[in-house]
Amino acid sequence: MLTRSVVLVVEDHPLIRLSALDLVSSGGFEGIGAQNADEAIAILEARPDIHLVFTDVEMPGTMDGIKLAHYIRGRWPNVRLIVASGKLIVEESQLPHGAKFFSKPYGDQSIIEEMTRMLAIVDADSPIGQIPSSQ
Amino acid sequence: MISLLEATASGAAEVHAYELTLDRPGHEPRLLVLNAKRLVYDDISQTRILLAVADVTEARANDKIKDNLLHDKDDLIREKAILLQEVQHRIANSLQIIASILMQSARKVRSDETSGHLKNAHGRLMSIAAVQTQLSKSSMGKVELQPYFTQLCKSLGASMINNPDLLSIEVHADKTSTESEVSMSLGLIVTELVINALKHAFPGNRKGKILVTYKSDGRDWTLAVTDDGVGMPTIAADAKPGLGTNIVESLAKRLEAEVQVASANPGTAIRIVHSQAAVNPIGRAA
Repeated sequence: MLTRSVVLVVEDHPLIRLSALDLVSSGGFEGIGAQNADEAIAILEARPDIHLVFTDVEMPGTMDGIKLAHYIRGRWPNVRLIVASGKLIVEESQLPHGAKFFSKPYGDQSIIEEMTRMLAIVDADSPIGQIPSSQ
Repeated sequence: MISLLEATASGAAEVHAYELTLDRPGHEPRLLVLNAKRLVYDDISQTRILLAVADVTEARANDKIKDNLLHDKDDLIREKAILLQEVQHRIANSLQIIASILMQSARKVRSDETSGHLKNAHGRLMSIAAVQTQLSKSSMGKVELQPYFTQLCKSLGASMINNPDLLSIEVHADKTSTESEVSMSLGLIVTELVINALKHAFPGNRKGKILVTYKSDGRDWTLAVTDDGVGMPTIAADAKPGLGTNIVESLAKRLEAEVQVASANPGTAIRIVHSQAAVNPIGRAA
Protein backbone atom coordinates (compact mmCIF):
# COMPACT_ATOMS: atom_id res chain seq x y z
CA MET A 1 0.00 0.00 0.00
CA LEU A 2 1.21 3.49 -0.84
CA THR A 3 1.93 5.69 2.15
CA ARG A 4 -0.08 8.90 2.26
CA SER A 5 1.75 12.21 2.07
CA VAL A 6 1.93 13.94 5.42
CA VAL A 7 0.84 17.57 5.75
CA LEU A 8 1.55 19.73 8.80
CA VAL A 9 -1.12 22.35 9.46
CA VAL A 10 0.09 25.32 11.53
CA GLU A 11 -2.82 27.48 12.70
CA ASP A 12 -3.51 29.03 16.09
CA HIS A 13 -7.30 29.11 15.78
CA PRO A 14 -8.61 25.70 16.89
CA LEU A 15 -11.69 25.71 14.62
CA ILE A 16 -9.76 26.70 11.51
CA ARG A 17 -7.07 24.13 12.38
CA LEU A 18 -9.68 21.41 12.87
CA SER A 19 -11.34 22.19 9.54
CA ALA A 20 -8.00 22.43 7.76
CA LEU A 21 -7.01 19.00 9.11
CA ASP A 22 -10.34 17.63 7.90
CA LEU A 23 -9.73 19.25 4.52
CA VAL A 24 -6.27 17.68 4.33
CA SER A 25 -7.61 14.21 5.04
CA SER A 26 -10.47 14.71 2.55
CA GLY A 27 -7.75 15.36 -0.02
CA GLY A 28 -6.26 11.96 0.74
CA PHE A 29 -3.36 13.14 2.87
CA GLU A 30 -2.45 12.58 6.49
CA GLY A 31 -2.73 15.76 8.57
CA ILE A 32 -0.90 16.78 11.72
CA GLY A 33 -1.77 19.98 13.59
CA ALA A 34 0.45 22.52 15.32
CA GLN A 35 -0.76 25.73 16.97
CA ASN A 36 2.36 27.82 16.55
CA ALA A 37 5.78 27.91 14.90
CA ASP A 38 7.67 26.39 17.84
CA GLU A 39 5.33 23.41 17.99
CA ALA A 40 5.63 23.06 14.20
CA ILE A 41 9.44 22.96 14.35
CA ALA A 42 9.38 20.37 17.15
CA ILE A 43 7.08 18.19 15.02
CA LEU A 44 9.25 18.63 11.92
CA GLU A 45 12.27 17.53 13.95
CA ALA A 46 10.46 14.39 15.12
CA ARG A 47 8.74 13.54 11.82
CA PRO A 48 11.05 13.43 8.81
CA ASP A 49 8.11 12.18 6.69
CA ILE A 50 6.35 15.57 6.53
CA HIS A 51 6.16 16.68 2.90
CA LEU A 52 4.18 19.90 3.11
CA VAL A 53 3.53 22.63 5.65
CA PHE A 54 0.31 24.66 5.40
CA THR A 55 0.70 27.65 7.72
CA ASP A 56 -1.20 30.69 8.89
CA VAL A 57 0.76 33.97 9.13
CA GLU A 58 -0.43 35.71 12.29
CA MET A 59 0.31 33.47 15.24
CA PRO A 60 1.49 34.05 18.79
CA GLY A 61 4.99 32.84 19.57
CA THR A 62 8.53 33.49 18.43
CA MET A 63 7.85 33.38 14.68
CA ASP A 64 5.01 34.28 12.38
CA GLY A 65 4.14 32.10 9.39
CA ILE A 66 6.40 34.01 7.00
CA LYS A 67 9.45 33.61 9.27
CA LEU A 68 8.50 29.99 9.82
CA ALA A 69 8.34 29.40 6.06
CA HIS A 70 11.85 30.79 5.60
CA TYR A 71 13.15 28.79 8.57
CA ILE A 72 11.69 25.56 7.18
CA ARG A 73 13.11 26.23 3.72
CA GLY A 74 16.56 26.70 5.32
CA ARG A 75 16.44 23.54 7.43
CA TRP A 76 14.23 21.21 5.39
CA PRO A 77 14.57 22.41 1.80
CA ASN A 78 12.36 19.65 0.34
CA VAL A 79 9.29 20.52 2.37
CA ARG A 80 6.61 22.24 0.25
CA LEU A 81 5.07 25.40 1.66
CA ILE A 82 1.59 26.96 1.51
CA VAL A 83 0.94 30.16 3.45
CA ALA A 84 -2.49 31.67 4.19
CA SER A 85 -3.37 34.98 5.80
CA GLY A 86 -6.23 37.37 6.33
CA LYS A 87 -3.84 40.22 5.60
CA LEU A 88 -3.57 41.07 1.95
CA ILE A 89 -0.19 42.72 2.16
CA VAL A 90 1.58 39.39 1.94
CA GLU A 91 3.18 38.97 -1.48
CA GLU A 92 4.66 35.75 -2.72
CA SER A 93 7.95 37.64 -3.11
CA GLN A 94 8.11 37.79 0.72
CA LEU A 95 7.98 34.01 0.83
CA PRO A 96 10.62 31.40 -0.01
CA HIS A 97 10.79 30.56 -3.71
CA GLY A 98 8.07 28.12 -4.76
CA ALA A 99 5.88 28.77 -1.71
CA LYS A 100 2.24 29.59 -2.49
CA PHE A 101 0.14 32.30 -0.83
CA PHE A 102 -3.64 32.20 -0.32
CA SER A 103 -5.67 35.01 1.20
CA LYS A 104 -8.27 34.12 3.79
CA PRO A 105 -10.96 33.03 3.50
CA TYR A 106 -9.43 30.50 1.13
CA GLY A 107 -11.52 28.12 -0.95
CA ASP A 108 -11.05 24.53 0.21
CA GLN A 109 -10.88 23.29 -3.36
CA SER A 110 -8.04 25.64 -4.31
CA ILE A 111 -5.99 24.51 -1.30
CA ILE A 112 -6.48 20.82 -2.11
CA GLU A 113 -5.59 21.43 -5.77
CA GLU A 114 -2.39 23.22 -4.76
CA MET A 115 -1.45 20.49 -2.25
CA THR A 116 -2.09 17.80 -4.83
CA ARG A 117 0.02 19.66 -7.40
CA MET A 118 2.89 20.21 -4.96
CA LEU A 119 2.80 16.67 -3.61
CA ALA A 120 2.49 14.98 -6.99
CA ILE A 121 6.19 15.50 -7.53
CA VAL A 122 7.40 14.69 -4.02
CA ASP A 123 8.25 11.15 -5.10
CA ALA A 124 10.47 12.49 -7.85
CA ASP A 125 12.25 14.43 -5.07
CA SER A 126 12.72 17.33 -7.43
CA PRO A 127 14.33 20.47 -6.04
CA ILE A 128 11.79 23.07 -4.86
CA GLY A 129 12.75 25.59 -7.50
CA GLN A 130 11.54 23.29 -10.24
CA ILE A 131 7.94 22.97 -9.11
CA PRO A 132 5.94 23.58 -12.28
CA SER A 133 3.79 26.70 -12.14
CA SER A 134 0.05 26.21 -11.85
CA GLN A 135 -0.56 28.88 -14.47
CA MET B 1 26.51 90.29 15.55
CA ILE B 2 28.78 93.30 15.94
CA SER B 3 31.47 91.63 13.90
CA LEU B 4 28.93 90.81 11.18
CA LEU B 5 27.84 94.44 11.01
CA GLU B 6 31.45 95.53 10.89
CA ALA B 7 32.10 93.15 8.01
CA THR B 8 29.02 94.56 6.27
CA ALA B 9 30.19 98.12 6.84
CA SER B 10 33.57 97.34 5.33
CA GLY B 11 31.81 95.82 2.32
CA ALA B 12 33.27 92.37 2.95
CA ALA B 13 29.93 90.71 3.66
CA GLU B 14 26.16 91.16 3.82
CA VAL B 15 23.78 89.92 6.46
CA HIS B 16 21.08 87.64 5.12
CA ALA B 17 18.29 86.44 7.39
CA TYR B 18 20.43 86.37 10.49
CA GLU B 19 18.37 85.14 13.42
CA LEU B 20 18.81 86.18 16.99
CA THR B 21 16.83 85.98 20.18
CA LEU B 22 16.29 89.22 21.99
CA ASP B 23 16.27 88.66 25.73
CA ARG B 24 15.16 91.54 27.90
CA PRO B 25 14.52 91.25 31.62
CA GLY B 26 10.79 91.25 32.32
CA HIS B 27 9.89 90.45 28.70
CA GLU B 28 9.30 87.28 26.77
CA PRO B 29 12.21 86.53 24.44
CA ARG B 30 11.58 87.78 20.89
CA LEU B 31 12.85 86.08 17.77
CA LEU B 32 14.33 88.61 15.34
CA VAL B 33 15.49 88.23 11.76
CA LEU B 34 18.12 90.70 10.57
CA ASN B 35 19.14 91.73 7.09
CA ALA B 36 21.91 94.27 6.56
CA LYS B 37 23.43 95.75 3.44
CA ARG B 38 25.99 98.46 2.91
CA LEU B 39 24.68 101.39 0.88
CA VAL B 40 27.16 102.80 -1.57
CA TYR B 41 26.71 106.44 -2.62
CA ASP B 42 29.08 108.84 -4.39
CA ASP B 43 29.92 110.25 -1.01
CA ILE B 44 32.35 107.50 0.04
CA SER B 45 33.61 109.28 3.14
CA GLN B 46 30.41 108.24 4.92
CA THR B 47 29.51 104.62 5.58
CA ARG B 48 25.80 103.80 5.52
CA ILE B 49 24.22 100.50 6.36
CA LEU B 50 20.61 99.59 5.70
CA LEU B 51 19.51 97.37 8.56
CA ALA B 52 16.13 95.63 8.52
CA VAL B 53 14.86 93.93 11.65
CA ALA B 54 11.77 91.75 11.55
CA ASP B 55 10.12 90.30 14.65
CA VAL B 56 9.05 86.78 13.64
CA THR B 57 8.13 85.44 17.08
CA GLU B 58 4.41 84.97 16.32
CA ALA B 59 4.95 83.80 12.73
CA ARG B 60 7.36 81.11 13.91
CA ALA B 61 5.03 80.00 16.67
CA ASN B 62 2.21 79.63 14.12
CA ASP B 63 4.45 77.64 11.80
CA LYS B 64 5.30 75.33 14.64
CA ILE B 65 1.64 74.76 15.47
CA LYS B 66 0.95 74.07 11.81
CA ASP B 67 3.85 71.60 11.63
CA ASN B 68 2.63 69.84 14.75
CA LEU B 69 -0.90 69.63 13.37
CA LEU B 70 0.37 68.20 10.10
CA HIS B 71 2.44 65.73 12.05
CA ASP B 72 -0.54 64.73 14.20
CA LYS B 73 -2.61 64.34 11.05
CA ASP B 74 -0.01 62.01 9.52
CA ASP B 75 0.03 59.99 12.72
CA LEU B 76 -3.76 59.72 12.68
CA ILE B 77 -3.81 58.64 9.05
CA ARG B 78 -1.17 56.01 9.74
CA GLU B 79 -3.04 54.83 12.81
CA LYS B 80 -6.27 54.62 10.83
CA ALA B 81 -4.59 52.54 8.12
CA ILE B 82 -3.23 50.12 10.71
CA LEU B 83 -6.62 49.84 12.42
CA LEU B 84 -8.33 49.26 9.10
CA GLN B 85 -5.88 46.50 8.25
CA GLU B 86 -6.46 44.92 11.65
CA VAL B 87 -10.22 45.02 11.11
CA GLN B 88 -9.91 43.52 7.63
CA HIS B 89 -7.69 40.81 9.06
CA ARG B 90 -10.23 39.97 11.72
CA ILE B 91 -13.09 39.91 9.24
CA ALA B 92 -11.07 37.59 7.00
CA ASN B 93 -10.37 35.28 9.93
CA SER B 94 -14.00 35.21 11.00
CA LEU B 95 -15.13 34.48 7.46
CA GLN B 96 -12.49 31.75 7.30
CA ILE B 97 -13.92 30.08 10.41
CA ILE B 98 -17.44 30.08 8.96
CA ALA B 99 -16.24 28.98 5.51
CA SER B 100 -14.18 26.14 7.01
CA ILE B 101 -17.05 24.87 9.12
CA LEU B 102 -19.55 25.03 6.23
CA MET B 103 -17.24 23.02 3.98
CA GLN B 104 -16.40 20.58 6.74
CA SER B 105 -20.13 20.00 7.28
CA ALA B 106 -20.65 19.62 3.52
CA ARG B 107 -18.01 16.87 3.50
CA LYS B 108 -19.51 15.14 6.53
CA VAL B 109 -23.20 14.94 5.61
CA ARG B 110 -24.36 11.92 3.63
CA SER B 111 -27.23 13.51 1.69
CA ASP B 112 -26.27 15.09 -1.62
CA GLU B 113 -29.04 17.65 -1.25
CA THR B 114 -27.86 18.83 2.16
CA SER B 115 -24.28 18.88 1.00
CA GLY B 116 -25.39 20.97 -2.00
CA HIS B 117 -27.13 23.48 0.27
CA LEU B 118 -24.05 23.78 2.47
CA LYS B 119 -21.87 24.33 -0.59
CA ASN B 120 -24.27 27.02 -1.82
CA ALA B 121 -24.07 28.72 1.56
CA HIS B 122 -20.28 28.55 1.28
CA GLY B 123 -20.49 30.10 -2.19
CA ARG B 124 -22.61 33.00 -0.88
CA LEU B 125 -20.15 33.57 1.94
CA MET B 126 -17.19 33.58 -0.43
CA SER B 127 -19.02 36.09 -2.61
CA ILE B 128 -19.24 38.49 0.33
CA ALA B 129 -15.62 37.75 1.23
CA ALA B 130 -14.57 38.66 -2.31
CA VAL B 131 -16.05 42.15 -1.82
CA GLN B 132 -13.87 42.55 1.26
CA THR B 133 -10.78 41.52 -0.69
CA GLN B 134 -11.51 43.94 -3.52
CA LEU B 135 -12.42 46.73 -1.08
CA SER B 136 -9.16 46.43 0.79
CA LYS B 137 -7.32 46.70 -2.51
CA SER B 138 -9.09 49.93 -3.42
CA SER B 139 -8.62 53.20 -1.60
CA MET B 140 -11.88 54.96 -2.39
CA GLY B 141 -14.30 52.45 -0.85
CA LYS B 142 -15.34 51.46 -4.35
CA VAL B 143 -15.11 48.06 -5.94
CA GLU B 144 -14.14 47.54 -9.55
CA LEU B 145 -16.58 44.99 -10.96
CA GLN B 146 -14.40 43.12 -13.47
CA PRO B 147 -11.79 41.84 -10.97
CA TYR B 148 -14.47 41.33 -8.31
CA PHE B 149 -16.74 39.19 -10.52
CA THR B 150 -13.68 37.34 -11.81
CA GLN B 151 -12.53 36.44 -8.29
CA LEU B 152 -16.10 35.49 -7.39
CA CYS B 153 -16.61 33.20 -10.37
CA LYS B 154 -13.20 31.62 -9.89
CA SER B 155 -14.07 30.66 -6.33
CA LEU B 156 -17.58 29.48 -7.32
CA GLY B 157 -16.08 27.41 -10.13
CA ALA B 158 -13.44 25.92 -7.85
CA SER B 159 -16.00 24.66 -5.34
CA MET B 160 -18.87 23.77 -7.69
CA ILE B 161 -17.47 22.67 -11.05
CA ASN B 162 -16.43 19.03 -10.90
CA ASN B 163 -14.95 18.90 -14.36
CA PRO B 164 -13.37 22.18 -15.51
CA ASP B 165 -12.89 20.69 -19.00
CA LEU B 166 -16.66 20.64 -19.46
CA LEU B 167 -17.82 23.85 -17.83
CA SER B 168 -16.32 27.32 -17.71
CA ILE B 169 -17.36 30.76 -16.45
CA GLU B 170 -16.36 33.95 -18.23
CA VAL B 171 -16.68 37.53 -17.01
CA HIS B 172 -16.96 40.60 -19.24
CA ALA B 173 -17.61 43.76 -17.26
CA ASP B 174 -16.91 47.31 -18.37
CA LYS B 175 -14.71 49.64 -16.31
CA THR B 176 -17.44 50.34 -13.75
CA SER B 177 -16.63 50.63 -10.06
CA THR B 178 -19.50 50.71 -7.58
CA GLU B 179 -19.98 51.48 -3.88
CA SER B 180 -19.33 48.46 -1.65
CA GLU B 181 -23.03 48.02 -0.79
CA VAL B 182 -24.05 47.98 -4.45
CA SER B 183 -21.14 45.68 -5.31
CA MET B 184 -22.16 43.23 -2.65
CA SER B 185 -25.72 43.10 -3.99
CA LEU B 186 -24.50 42.66 -7.57
CA GLY B 187 -22.04 39.98 -6.42
CA LEU B 188 -24.73 38.05 -4.56
CA ILE B 189 -26.98 38.18 -7.63
CA VAL B 190 -24.13 36.84 -9.79
CA THR B 191 -23.50 34.12 -7.18
CA GLU B 192 -27.14 32.98 -7.17
CA LEU B 193 -27.48 33.02 -10.96
CA VAL B 194 -24.20 31.17 -11.49
CA ILE B 195 -25.07 28.58 -8.82
CA ASN B 196 -28.46 28.16 -10.48
CA ALA B 197 -26.98 27.73 -13.96
CA LEU B 198 -24.39 25.23 -12.68
CA LYS B 199 -27.15 23.27 -10.96
CA HIS B 200 -29.75 23.15 -13.72
CA ALA B 201 -28.39 24.13 -17.12
CA PHE B 202 -25.91 21.32 -17.67
CA PRO B 203 -27.38 17.94 -16.72
CA GLY B 204 -25.33 14.84 -17.23
CA ASN B 205 -21.99 15.66 -18.71
CA ARG B 206 -23.19 18.48 -20.92
CA LYS B 207 -20.42 20.81 -22.00
CA GLY B 208 -21.04 24.53 -21.68
CA LYS B 209 -20.18 28.05 -20.75
CA ILE B 210 -21.63 30.62 -18.38
CA LEU B 211 -21.13 34.23 -19.32
CA VAL B 212 -21.38 37.05 -16.78
CA THR B 213 -21.60 40.52 -18.32
CA TYR B 214 -22.03 44.02 -16.95
CA LYS B 215 -22.56 47.09 -19.12
CA SER B 216 -23.38 50.61 -18.07
CA ASP B 217 -24.52 53.63 -19.99
CA GLY B 218 -24.72 56.77 -17.92
CA ARG B 219 -26.80 55.76 -14.91
CA ASP B 220 -28.39 52.79 -16.69
CA TRP B 221 -26.84 49.39 -16.35
CA THR B 222 -27.46 45.77 -17.22
CA LEU B 223 -26.06 42.75 -15.45
CA ALA B 224 -26.56 39.50 -17.31
CA VAL B 225 -25.80 35.87 -16.64
CA THR B 226 -26.18 33.76 -19.78
CA ASP B 227 -25.63 30.05 -20.21
CA ASP B 228 -25.69 27.79 -23.25
CA GLY B 229 -27.26 24.90 -21.36
CA VAL B 230 -30.57 23.09 -21.73
CA GLY B 231 -32.79 26.12 -21.13
CA MET B 232 -35.57 26.73 -18.62
CA PRO B 233 -38.27 24.10 -18.20
CA THR B 234 -41.64 25.38 -19.51
CA ILE B 235 -43.61 24.08 -16.53
CA ALA B 236 -41.85 26.41 -14.11
CA ALA B 237 -44.76 28.90 -14.04
CA ASP B 238 -46.46 27.50 -10.94
CA ALA B 239 -43.31 26.10 -9.36
CA LYS B 240 -42.46 27.56 -5.97
CA PRO B 241 -39.51 29.94 -6.28
CA GLY B 242 -36.41 28.77 -4.42
CA LEU B 243 -34.20 30.70 -2.05
CA GLY B 244 -31.93 31.71 -4.92
CA THR B 245 -34.80 33.27 -6.87
CA ASN B 246 -35.96 35.15 -3.80
CA ILE B 247 -32.48 36.49 -3.16
CA VAL B 248 -32.16 37.68 -6.75
CA GLU B 249 -35.63 39.29 -6.77
CA SER B 250 -35.16 41.17 -3.52
CA LEU B 251 -31.63 42.37 -4.31
CA ALA B 252 -32.73 43.52 -7.77
CA LYS B 253 -35.60 45.44 -6.16
CA ARG B 254 -33.16 47.07 -3.76
CA LEU B 255 -31.04 48.14 -6.73
CA GLU B 256 -34.21 49.45 -8.45
CA ALA B 257 -33.70 46.99 -11.25
CA GLU B 258 -35.92 44.58 -13.13
CA VAL B 259 -35.27 40.86 -13.58
CA GLN B 260 -35.78 39.71 -17.18
CA VAL B 261 -35.64 36.05 -18.07
CA ALA B 262 -35.25 35.05 -21.71
CA SER B 263 -34.39 32.05 -23.76
CA ALA B 264 -30.89 32.34 -25.20
CA ASN B 265 -31.16 29.55 -27.81
CA PRO B 266 -29.56 27.49 -26.56
CA GLY B 267 -29.71 28.12 -22.86
CA THR B 268 -31.04 30.89 -20.69
CA ALA B 269 -30.26 34.58 -20.31
CA ILE B 270 -31.17 36.35 -17.12
CA ARG B 271 -30.79 40.11 -17.18
CA ILE B 272 -30.97 42.52 -14.27
CA VAL B 273 -31.78 45.86 -15.84
CA HIS B 274 -31.64 49.22 -14.14
CA SER B 275 -33.03 52.03 -16.22
CA GLN B 276 -33.13 55.56 -14.84
CA ALA B 277 -36.16 56.31 -17.02
CA ALA B 278 -38.10 53.48 -15.37
CA VAL B 279 -37.13 54.60 -11.87
CA ASN B 280 -37.94 58.28 -12.48
CA PRO B 281 -40.56 58.54 -15.23
CA ILE B 282 -40.78 62.10 -16.60
CA GLY B 283 -44.35 62.56 -15.39
CA ARG B 284 -43.31 61.89 -11.81
CA ALA B 285 -40.22 64.06 -11.79
CA ALA B 286 -40.26 67.40 -9.92
